[in-house]
Amino acid sequence: MNIIKRLVLFFILLLTSIIHGQTCDFRILGIVKDLHDGEPIFGAVVEIKGTDFYGQTNKEGYFELTGICEGSVQIIVSHIQCNPVERSLTIESDVELSFALEHHINELEEIILIENGITQVNTSVSESQMNADQLARMSNQSLAETLNVLPGVSALKTGSSIAKPMIHGLYGSRVAIIANGMRLQDQEWGADHAPNIDLNGFESVQVVKGAAALKYGGDASGGMIVLSPQRIRLKDSLYGNTILNGVDNGKGGGLSSRLTKSYDNGFYFSGQLATKYFGDRQAPDYFLTNTALKESSLGFTFGRSRILKGWQLKYTRFQNETGILRSAHIGNIQDLLRAVESEIPLRVEPFDYAIEAPKQQALHQSLQASYFNQISDQSLIRIDYNYQINSRKEFDVRRANRSELPAIDLTLQTHDFLGSIKWRNGFDWEFEWGLNGLLQDNFSNPETGVKRLIPDYLKYQIGSFITGNYKPSNIFNWEWGLRFDKVFMDAQKFYDTEDWIERGYNLMYSDYEQKNFGTQLLVNPKLNFLNISAQTGIAIRLSDSDKTTLSYILTQRAPNVSELFSDGLHHSLATIEYGNLTLDKETSHKVLLGFKKENTRLSFGIDSYLNSVSNFIYIEPTGVEQTTRGAFPVWSYNSTKVFMWGWDVFGEIQFAQDLEYTFNAAYTYAQDLTKNEPLILVPPFAFNQQMAYTFSKKNIEILLSHRFTGTQNRFPDTNFSVNLIESGTIIQKQLDVSTPPTGYHNLDIYFSLPLTNQTSFKSTIRLIVLNLTNTTYNDYLNRLRYYAAEIGRSVQLQLVLKY
Amino acid sequence: MKVNISMMHIASILILTTVFSCTKTDPELVDEQELITSVILTFTSDGEEDQQVRWTTQLNENPTITLNSNSEYEVAVSFLDESDPTDVEDITTEVKMEADEHQVFFEFSGVPIEFGQAVSDVLDTNQNPLYINSLWSTSSPGSGAVRVYLIHEPIQKNSSDRNGFGGETDVEVDFSILVKD
Repeated sequence: MNIIKRLVLFFILLLTSIIHGQTCDFRILGIVKDLHDGEPIFGAVVEIKGTDFYGQTNKEGYFELTGICEGSVQIIVSHIQCNPVERSLTIESDVELSFALEHHINELEEIILIENGITQVNTSVSESQMNADQLARMSNQSLAETLNVLPGVSALKTGSSIAKPMIHGLYGSRVAIIANGMRLQDQEWGADHAPNIDLNGFESVQVVKGAAALKYGGDASGGMIVLSPQRIRLKDSLYGNTILNGVDNGKGGGLSSRLTKSYDNGFYFSGQLATKYFGDRQAPDYFLTNTALKESSLGFTFGRSRILKGWQLKYTRFQNETGILRSAHIGNIQDLLRAVESEIPLRVEPFDYAIEAPKQQALHQSLQASYFNQISDQSLIRIDYNYQINSRKEFDVRRANRSELPAIDLTLQTHDFLGSIKWRNGFDWEFEWGLNGLLQDNFSNPETGVKRLIPDYLKYQIGSFITGNYKPSNIFNWEWGLRFDKVFMDAQKFYDTEDWIERGYNLMYSDYEQKNFGTQLLVNPKLNFLNISAQTGIAIRLSDSDKTTLSYILTQRAPNVSELFSDGLHHSLATIEYGNLTLDKETSHKVLLGFKKENTRLSFGIDSYLNSVSNFIYIEPTGVEQTTRGAFPVWSYNSTKVFMWGWDVFGEIQFAQDLEYTFNAAYTYAQDLTKNEPLILVPPFAFNQQMAYTFSKKNIEILLSHRFTGTQNRFPDTNFSVNLIESGTIIQKQLDVSTPPTGYHNLDIYFSLPLTNQTSFKSTIRLIVLNLTNTTYNDYLNRLRYYAAEIGRSVQLQLVLKY
Repeated sequence: MKVNISMMHIASILILTTVFSCTKTDPELVDEQELITSVILTFTSDGEEDQQVRWTTQLNENPTITLNSNSEYEVAVSFLDESDPTDVEDITTEVKMEADEHQVFFEFSGVPIEFGQAVSDVLDTNQNPLYINSLWSTSSPGSGAVRVYLIHEPIQKNSSDRNGFGGETDVEVDFSILVKD
């Protein structure tokens, strides 16, 4: 070609581009398929990078983009369930393309994205997360103790091994635990019942600080703890991990292991088992007699997952036996006074692995079937059915060898169904509508020889929810949701005929009376509640690094069985607890405002909230009852109006590449507006900070963790007087059970040494020292704080193997 | 897909069967074995009529024991479960059988009364008195009270006051005492 010809061509081209800009009438046609089985994928988004051109694949997997200009373009094909694929090409004519997509394959270390690839459960409500690595460090601890390091989350404990998670000062029925997409159903209403779940079966934890995820229920005004298992890799592989722990305090340890085999065609099997075995724990100055623990869990999962549909069957079993501090088993308030006045526990025996009464045994089994199907390019259905059976036995110190006979023996069976359909309207709107049905049956074994604490009951619940998400751009997001629940409770309870009459129930609830046994009356309360819950919130990205969220959550909760029917003596607290049949549903209005700044060197966030609760159900001292064990303080469930507010702050500073500092702090204020006094058992101010230094050569990491728990100065006075005989005269002594213990500092250290650095096999050996300074302290949120100090120094050796 | 459908069928059948089979049987009345509702003190003394004083949960005030000054009484304690009037259970037998795990104890206020073991008392394996049968000696007249304890699993069995025994209190009831001239 000579120069003239080239010039002419150049000018023609220049001219056409001046007239038409460019040739912009080309078409890109194509098909998107599943890499594994070649099935067409619909709903995949095909876009040209940097332009407004985009399209979507139809039912047959085809897409078409028209009016494409000449030149080089970069095409991105994405699908919510898949890793996006990019391809560069030069457009000179119409093009036909074929893409093959693969499912998400997340790094094992990555925080697991739930369900459909959205990191957060709710975009307009801030949440705290823990990833697999953080969970591994804490693999020896219980769920509540592990989450205790997160801002706004505390642990309500009964001794050293029973802990319940608390969010923004609320716990029990006000905190929902969601495991594998379904709510955990156990005796969550009891303050001394730890959730029957082992964290080792899960890969990530998300704590949502409000009942924002309406799909899982509208009654958890405190918040939700979402536990997600490891995501299945959809390729031929075998992977898993094993964690071994050895601890000097309690001379025990644990082993947890899981293994998954997945195939190219989407089938997978997964197995998981874990066990813990500990003897008596040790406080700095003495053994905590009868605090041994045995725990084991196992799970199997089998399923098939493809891009557009999948199913899963999962079975899990959790079993434990927990000893309760022997000294905490007391007979009456004089015994309690003796315990409070004694510097050390009244019974300290040499170290032992045996678990004697008082103790708890729990067995929780769950069978779950799940199915999802992307029925059209706009919609996805998901169905979950879950059967859970939970048995709990509690043993007291009793006469005539009856210590081997449980004093409480409950079997709780729950059928839970959750079905939902999610659909999109264009690219801005997303909706989800669903149904949730629950049937729960509790059986209290009468063979215990002790009056039932919780009666037999049937609970039916049917709920329906609709949620929506409007996201017109990357900087703005609006979320809303509405849920209705109808709760019907059908209980059968024996009341002391005298009590029934004394409380006036014989006049109010004569319809419920079923059968008269003389001193006892069989009563059949049938209670109905209609709960409405709602959520709405916005998330605004103010700049690349700044984000703010504002959310309002309305929660309604029907009283639980414990609040309605509790009836009995509490041995470790020396109280008689009575439920209240007249209770109505509890309504909470919570407003959360969050701000977050995220830079590479510095991140910072604050979440503040207001929570106004009417009909807040709580237990309060209501009098004294004369028994053959002397006078007992009586606590009864009642309702009041409560106002709470608080804030959580958190931040991260990267001082240097190898030096990282993180901190968080939380404060909760809670006031009973009727009595005008503080609410009981509200977490005091807490501050956590961690400094991690990584030695560049060997990747050895040293992490120093400091926790400061303040003194709770806001508490109600629940003291009572004890009448004693001292050297021939009767005296009155004030028993102080309400003053919280003084604040404390806790120092932990973690040394981590990565052993190998191959991609296929990664292992870490860790030396962990908890309570490094061997400090003696008591925690306000430990209900057995009157009897013994918290656990002293504990040295732990941990081996984490990943394969 | 077929697998899924049959799986869902099973699930729905499971749910339905449970829903319709859910007419629960009425709960059984619990036969309470641990309960002590009455504490009875029986006083015997030469030349006096036997006196039985009973403490029950139904009483609104403490029952009164009337004794003579400068006298000796053999006092037998018994513990009863009278929650079901048609089936009264005597817990005393159980306490006697488990003498090692139990301790009966008295604390007096306002009246100078000494007590010790009676000949008929039950001893534990270490020959410690259980005080289920005790010997009370009154001196000067007056009025006061006695607190009767039944201690379960005491830490030690020799003590001059309640605190020294430790353990858990199974019974703690008060009786008024009138010591006549």
